[in-house]
Amino acid sequence: MEILSYGFMQRALITGVVISILTGVISVFVVLRRVSFVGSGIAHAAFGGVAIGFLLGINPVITAMIYSVLVAFGIEAITSRGRVAEDTAIGVFFSSSMALGIVLISLSKSYNVDLFGYLFGSILAISEEEMLLTIVVTIIVLSTLLITMKELLLITFNEELAVVSGIPTRLIKAIFLISMAVAIVASIKVVGIILVSALLVIPGAVAQLITRSFYPMIFLSCFIAVFSTITGLYLSYLFDLSSGGAIVLIITACFFAAFLTKKK
Amino acid sequence: MNAIEINKLSVILSGKEILADINISLAEGKFLGIVGPNGSGKTTLLKVVLNLIKPAGGWVKVFDKAPDECLRQGIFGYLPQHINLDINFPASAFDVVMMGLYGKLGMFKWPSKKEKQKALEYIELIGMSGHESKLFGSLSGGEQQRISIARALVSNPRILILDEPSTGIDVVGQEDFYHLLKGLQKRLGLTIIMVSHDIGAVTAYVDEIACLNKILYYHGAPLGALDERVLEKLYGKNVDILMHTELCDKCERLRK
Repeated sequence: MEILSYGFMQRALITGVVISILTGVISVFVVLRRVSFVGSGIAHAAFGGVAIGFLLGINPVITAMIYSVLVAFGIEAITSRGRVAEDTAIGVFFSSSMALGIVLISLSKSYNVDLFGYLFGSILAISEEEMLLTIVVTIIVLSTLLITMKELLLITFNEELAVVSGIPTRLIKAIFLISMAVAIVASIKVVGIILVSALLVIPGAVAQLITRSFYPMIFLSCFIAVFSTITGLYLSYLFDLSSGGAIVLIITACFFAAFLTKKK
Repeated sequence: MNAIEINKLSVILSGKEILADINISLAEGKFLGIVGPNGSGKTTLLKVVLNLIKPAGGWVKVFDKAPDECLRQGIFGYLPQHINLDINFPASAFDVVMMGLYGKLGMFKWPSKKEKQKALEYIELIGMSGHESKLFGSLSGGEQQRISIARALVSNPRILILDEPSTGIDVVGQEDFYHLLKGLQKRLGLTIIMVSHDIGAVTAYVDEIACLNKILYYHGAPLGALDERVLEKLYGKNVDILMHTELCDKCERLRK
């Protein structure tokens, strides 16, 4: 286990596992609420937020979190008027935020910016502060989700029923949207903007193929995410591969294994 | 005190008048059937009562209170028209019935043994014991509808509102389902409002009927709705009403 003697590996492992648990829980709702495209749109839009951070000299993760939450509500606000379809709204924010990011970065002239790290993840380069920030964010998001979980389940089952039951549906949906945006940005360090939808969608999808009960589904989703992250990290260390890419490939392998063995 | 009081209600959605000048009052404990063709505003009327749609004019009172106040007090049990559910949604029949208690439980609270016991009681009441652990999406249309009734009733609502509950159920299943509703009405002293496009099936079970097609053409005893003039206004000429009961001599006469 010499691999664990490296400080950067310890931080990568801890951050990876924490993020896996966070996205494992979120992923179940992303799959059940069918909002994977919203997630992937928010992830790409986060690039604009990252660039703002670079330009202003603030920690890009923080600007990206704020920016992504705003984009999430922007998509929601435009869609709720009923004149623009949700996937159209996502398409607009998705590409325009990336464009904003590129323009801002070219403006800032700081070509030493670690763009590749943000696009494809840089889990091996995570600092102690970043690790602590991830842990704090995860604890906050997971406690919030735990408190609102049964309400969120009912809204996912049928939104009108939730309203008629007297549940503050809009508030709970907003909380979920914020949680998702924050989880996405927190995961960017692990697998990057381009690959983060994998963590957001696949663990929940695999869990749904295996179990038909809600709480076991959450547990399984987390387990699959954690397993893939640890395995992916280990393989990337052994064979000197991109860690983000390796994690996503392992998680995808889990999906096909579950899909092919689970006969309906 | 009336369970429902609707006064000069009108609804406009996307610039289109859906309901105009609707006046209905319904005493507590009655079973009201709302019938009318597709697109006649039946579902909209239910949604105004449930505070899901805001009226353009007029008002609705439920037990003398505004609908939004009633939502918070759990006065309504509701069966929407389409659940629109992924058949793999990870909820058993029991889980779905438990969802009926989430609103009353409130946030920060989790169901205890008492609530679980209550859910089981209602599953028994609607004759679905033994199906608790089955995946909700794997049940037949009729079975899902029964579980949904248990889900709607488990929180002890005073009014049960159903939107086209017989969709996707075979004719025999429908008869059973209406019998079940009638029994529950008597047993629990429930007020029931049910929307249906099937006037023939409904007349045999309800206490009152409301015939709706943007305006209210008729509200009163079920037999009165079978009057040719009412039916013609509602559905156009040459309607055949398929009756399910001993009232069939009346439909014979209608058919002429």
